[in-house]
Amino acid sequence: MDSRFFQAFVDWYLISIDILFVLGFIYFFKLPKDKRANSFYWLPFLILTFTFIYENFGAYTNYNFEFKARVNAFLGNTEFPNYNLWLYNIANKQIKTILYLFLIKTWLEPPKKRIINWMIIGFLIITQFLQFSGIEPIYLNQPIIFAIGANMVLVASGLYFMGMMTNEKYLATNPLRLLSFWMMTFMLFTYSLTYIASVSLTYLYTNYPTLVISLFQIDLAMGILNKLILIMAIASPKFPNLFEEEPIFDTNESLDIQSSL
Amino acid sequence: MNPTEDQIYVIIFSTLFLGGLMSTFVVAMVFIHRQRQAQNRQKMDQIKSEHEKTLLNIENEIQQDTLSQVGRELHDNIGQLLSLAKLYLNSAKPEKQAEGKEYLNQIIQEVRGLSKSLNLDWVESIRLEEFIGQQLEKIKSTEHCDTKLEAIESFGSFPKDQKLVLIRVIQECLNNTLKHANPNLIEIKLLKEKGIRKIQIIDDGKGFDTREASNGSGMFNLKKRMETIGGKFSLSSEIGKGTRIELLLPD
Repeated sequence: MDSRFFQAFVDWYLISIDILFVLGFIYFFKLPKDKRANSFYWLPFLILTFTFIYENFGAYTNYNFEFKARVNAFLGNTEFPNYNLWLYNIANKQIKTILYLFLIKTWLEPPKKRIINWMIIGFLIITQFLQFSGIEPIYLNQPIIFAIGANMVLVASGLYFMGMMTNEKYLATNPLRLLSFWMMTFMLFTYSLTYIASVSLTYLYTNYPTLVISLFQIDLAMGILNKLILIMAIASPKFPNLFEEEPIFDTNESLDIQSSL
Repeated sequence: MNPTEDQIYVIIFSTLFLGGLMSTFVVAMVFIHRQRQAQNRQKMDQIKSEHEKTLLNIENEIQQDTLSQVGRELHDNIGQLLSLAKLYLNSAKPEKQAEGKEYLNQIIQEVRGLSKSLNLDWVESIRLEEFIGQQLEKIKSTEHCDTKLEAIESFGSFPKDQKLVLIRVIQECLNNTLKHANPNLIEIKLLKEKGIRKIQIIDDGKGFDTREASNGSGMFNLKKRMETIGGKFSLSSEIGKGTRIELLLPD
């Protein structure tokens, strides 16, 4: 194995993501079947797996420069062949935002779930329009798409906290022992702490590349913390004294009728 | 400080400001949640005590009704039977004395039946369909009007609290019908639709204007009582076209 391989794959962030994925994998497959079918457990696992795949794929693109240059050329980017922003944009800014919106949706009451559905549809349409119209090319930084995604996650967090204040099921719980509360809080911090830096990334990268790297560390550290909370969610049935059960909102017909009574 | 340095400070301070804002937001949310939790607990306690009060009232009403019925039975039925028994037992004729003893046996049976109705244990053992059947039979036996009961087999049972409320509400509805509607037919249907149990009380009496009736407290009480067991009360009526009452309960 050459030094480029080590340079690409041996990094504290990537190693942490790999370890967290293994932990998540073990805890997820130790869950009983009915729990594995519950979105409260499989969605965090899906996000964890997805992060593991795209981060390692990102490392591979840094290792295999020819492959990265070919993809860039295919996307029309011959100016910066060493960029792998296309992967970061698709995976981190778009798909992961949608997955987080789906995750938040599982903790909301049925009427608020519908708002999230529309937000996801809106996000998909806007991002594809911005990308294919050339306003924000896929191979360059996408501050508008990031800002829209971050705002949607912030609005979804607002909906979650509103539900926490008004829903009787949430009022009967202790939020500090609810994993959804901690996931939501960390998501809120991640998006708010990286908001300004991500939106002004191009400017900062041109003028202060070292500062960008420092600010990027915040994103990485928050990313690790978020994944840790996701693992806690998957492993939560093993620690019943530590965490409270989530108030799950079913959308089936009979429940709707009962609530209408 | 040059302009680009300024911009850097703006970026760093904005980031810190947003972070601080989010921290304040989350902490505030936790505090508000605690406050609302306490308010909600208070509200729940109030609802619980109201529910218990309603149940107690209903139990009292049923007991009052039962006592009046026992009084009537003692006076009209058992009193008469005892007089007859006394008369026959005092007779010198052995066949009359035997008849007197028969009366005594009948009185014992009647007293046993009455003593059973004095506490509310019968509510637990009786099925709602049975109770409604008995009530309709009683009405029919007065020859005041005809009655009809339709019940699906899978209607299911109710816990004692719910049954008590339903019994009282049904009694009240039937009393109102007999008192005000002057019907030829009273029909009760027990159905299940989309996971909801429905009790329909339909009469072909003279009906009334529901806008006027809503001012009264009787209807309000019935609604409130159904709500205490998680149910719903609805009524529709038109002058000359009878009245339809629906009691809805989640399965």
